[in-house]
Amino acid sequence: MGVIVLQLFAVPEGKSGPQVIDILTKRVTSLGGVLSGSFMVDCETYTSVASLGATRSVHLLHNSETPASVFALLEAASGNKTVALVADNLFDLLMLKLSNFYQAKKQTKIESRGPRFEAGDFLVKLGSVTMGPTFKGILVEVEYQACSLPAACWDLIREFMQGFLGGCVPSTPPQYIQNRFGDMLGPIDGINQYLEQFNAFRKTTGIR
Amino acid sequence: MEDFFTNNSVCVSVEAPAENLVQEIAYDGQEVFQLPLTLSENLTKQAHKIDWIKREDDDNDDDTHSATVTTEKKVEEDSKKADFQTSSWPWDSVRNKLRSALTEVCVLADVLVIAKDKRYMVLDPVQQEQPDQRQLAQLFSKKRGLTAAANILLHGAERLKISQSDTARAKSNQDFHLELLRLRQSWTLKKIGNSILGDLSYKSAGSRFYQTGIFEVTKSEDPDQELSLETTSENQSKQSMIKVTIPPELGGTAYIQVTIQKDQDILCTTNVNLLHTSLIHSDPSRDANPWTSKLEAAQNVLFCKELFSQLAREAVQLQAAIPHMVVGNQITASLFPGIQLSIHFQSSYSAGVDKRQLVSNNSTSLVAKVDHNYILEHSLHQLLRQVHLNNVGQPVPHPSSAPLGPTKRRRLAGPHAYDRDELLLMTKNESILEQIIRQGQHVVLRLRTMFVIDSIAREIRDPLIISHWNVLNSPTLSCVKIIIMTHGYDTLQRTALVVHVGEKTLKCVCRDGRVLQMSYEPQELRDLILCQISQHQINAVQSLARFLGWHVASSSAHLGLGPVEPLGNASSCILSSPSGNRILSVRCGPQAAQPQVYLSTYPRHDTEKNKVLTDIRWEQLNTRYEEVRLEKIEGRNFLSRMELLMASLTCRLPMNWE
Repeated sequence: MGVIVLQLFAVPEGKSGPQVIDILTKRVTSLGGVLSGSFMVDCETYTSVASLGATRSVHLLHNSETPASVFALLEAASGNKTVALVADNLFDLLMLKLSNFYQAKKQTKIESRGPRFEAGDFLVKLGSVTMGPTFKGILVEVEYQACSLPAACWDLIREFMQGFLGGCVPSTPPQYIQNRFGDMLGPIDGINQYLEQFNAFRKTTGIR
Repeated sequence: MEDFFTNNSVCVSVEAPAENLVQEIAYDGQEVFQLPLTLSENLTKQAHKIDWIKREDDDNDDDTHSATVTTEKKVEEDSKKADFQTSSWPWDSVRNKLRSALTEVCVLADVLVIAKDKRYMVLDPVQQEQPDQRQLAQLFSKKRGLTAAANILLHGAERLKISQSDTARAKSNQDFHLELLRLRQSWTLKKIGNSILGDLSYKSAGSRFYQTGIFEVTKSEDPDQELSLETTSENQSKQSMIKVTIPPELGGTAYIQVTIQKDQDILCTTNVNLLHTSLIHSDPSRDANPWTSKLEAAQNVLFCKELFSQLAREAVQLQAAIPHMVVGNQITASLFPGIQLSIHFQSSYSAGVDKRQLVSNNSTSLVAKVDHNYILEHSLHQLLRQVHLNNVGQPVPHPSSAPLGPTKRRRLAGPHAYDRDELLLMTKNESILEQIIRQGQHVVLRLRTMFVIDSIAREIRDPLIISHWNVLNSPTLSCVKIIIMTHGYDTLQRTALVVHVGEKTLKCVCRDGRVLQMSYEPQELRDLILCQISQHQINAVQSLARFLGWHVASSSAHLGLGPVEPLGNASSCILSSPSGNRILSVRCGPQAAQPQVYLSTYPRHDTEKNKVLTDIRWEQLNTRYEEVRLEKIEGRNFLSRMELLMASLTCRLPMNWE
């Protein structure tokens, strides 16, 4: 499992989402990326019923990269901390049984899907984010599979990302990665970044 | 008679006797007569006189008479009835009876007339033999029943006698139940109804083969047969009380022959069989229980059948570049171009060959053929057992409500968030045939590598080539270390290289750390070793030179000069003597049998002194290189000759050269 960096790619004025994806696809393929299927990350949010006390929400995420797993992120009562649970697919069924306690929020299912490229040790996923039927923006995921330590490979990732994303990539790593710069990262870190971005998408109206 | 019919009525005369009976005779002789009976009293009395016991057919001489008797009988009955029931008119019943009697008599008369006329009917005497015949049949059936009963008794007596003689013999622990107990210890038995059935299949070990291996255990009860058996086989002193009946399709012997062949030459062969010769002779219990060998033979047939059917199924399913062929009892798969792996199912039962003949054929052919490959045989056993184990060893689901089937790794894949590649790796399952093919390829490649190394070692004597095969290796990877050195100079220079023999490729790690990947073609390895030999010679000469105080002026592993080598590059070095007036040039190419050595010296002795260049230093120019004829120099090998050469060139002073 490598280091996953999630980058928001702002959609330029006067362009639609598919057009941007096309442009990025061309850039990635010219960098040596080979198309290998597609990917999807989706997120569904459940909120606890009033009888349980303070309202807390559980985010249920699926990643096509880890098809056997379900990620459940429970927002802690205080602060921004979340409790992460990685379970297998049966957890979805369990969630149905818990419908008396946690109910799915209406119209909040958000997902990012698009093509997936392999370029050497890099895995590039160009995802267009949609909430329900509406297009919200573009998220680019870059994974460097050969290393799990961001401190050791951030510069490499940054250079690679700047190669096809241009100036929108900052020279400092994202906040999430910066907090764990010396730690080994795993699949759950990628999911946490997705959740952050999805939450930001939900708060904004229109295209980011 | 005529009147009878004409009148169509009967006159019955009823009259009293002439005189009355004497009732009493007084002392004076006077007879007191009874009062004469009245008409009805008289008739009643008469009727009482008739003997009703008298049978009708006893006096059937006269039909009419009988008719009358019947009539009278009826009349009597009537009168009897009349006694009990009072009728309005006392003669009423008599009249009725008479009338019915009349009817019967009329019918009788009609019948008689008809019979007499013989116009309509003929009367024949009825056969009276029947009672006699029935008696005869009874006699017969009785006789038959008695015979059957006697037979049963005799049979029982015989069995008793046999069992008695058995118990006499059973003193030497020949008890049926004891043997059954012993059988039970090593085989699955169960009792169904009156029969004891056993199972020799691998079902309990996880096999899913369709054929059942059910055998029946009975008590052997034929002493004659046993005796004959005893006479034929002297070594079996004791006879078993247990008779084991196996299904006919599991009879005979069978084995699977795996052969790797190039065209017609057999490179490698193995026979897969459960009944290994060493096992048969070593096991003492086999002699004690004759059924053991029979059951094990049947189990062996079952094993071979299952293995072969599994391989055949896989061969059909596998999508290979060159499709595998399954024809009859043979599977053919190609390992390398021109080299084929053929798996043959041999069975004495199916071929109808006599068992002994087959075994003898087998043994002679084995002796004639190449050595038996035990590793391949072991692998086949191991792989089938592994399949069985996988069938049996279903992991327990976690939690208990989860679906049954996924392995522990698959179960952990979710919580550990395995990615796609890891999950894909998990699903990959290699079939037996694929693994066997890979092993076969490895065997072929290893044989080829061995052959190449051995042939080079045989051809080239000068640097010694020592190969050391690792004893421990996996079925698809083995490793050989090749050491090139010169006899007597082994501390001076050793060139070692390691060759990893895989399935389709060779990986060679050289001394300098280079890793070379080679294909299965043996020529490539041969070329590599030849190059290594040439480089070894040059390196050895250089170390020898340093040892002797010579200077290495230059050396090159890939020389660009001289005739072009067909493969690889020649290597060379230039050595100068300690005083610098002798220069030796050594060149060694991979294809050359021996290195070539050239010598150049100064001062030039062949030409006169130059008149123009009078300076002494111009005399130090070397002469042309001349080839040294190494074979004329004393020495066992190249290095010893070089040592001699260098030593002789060192000791001479340049002044004394001429």
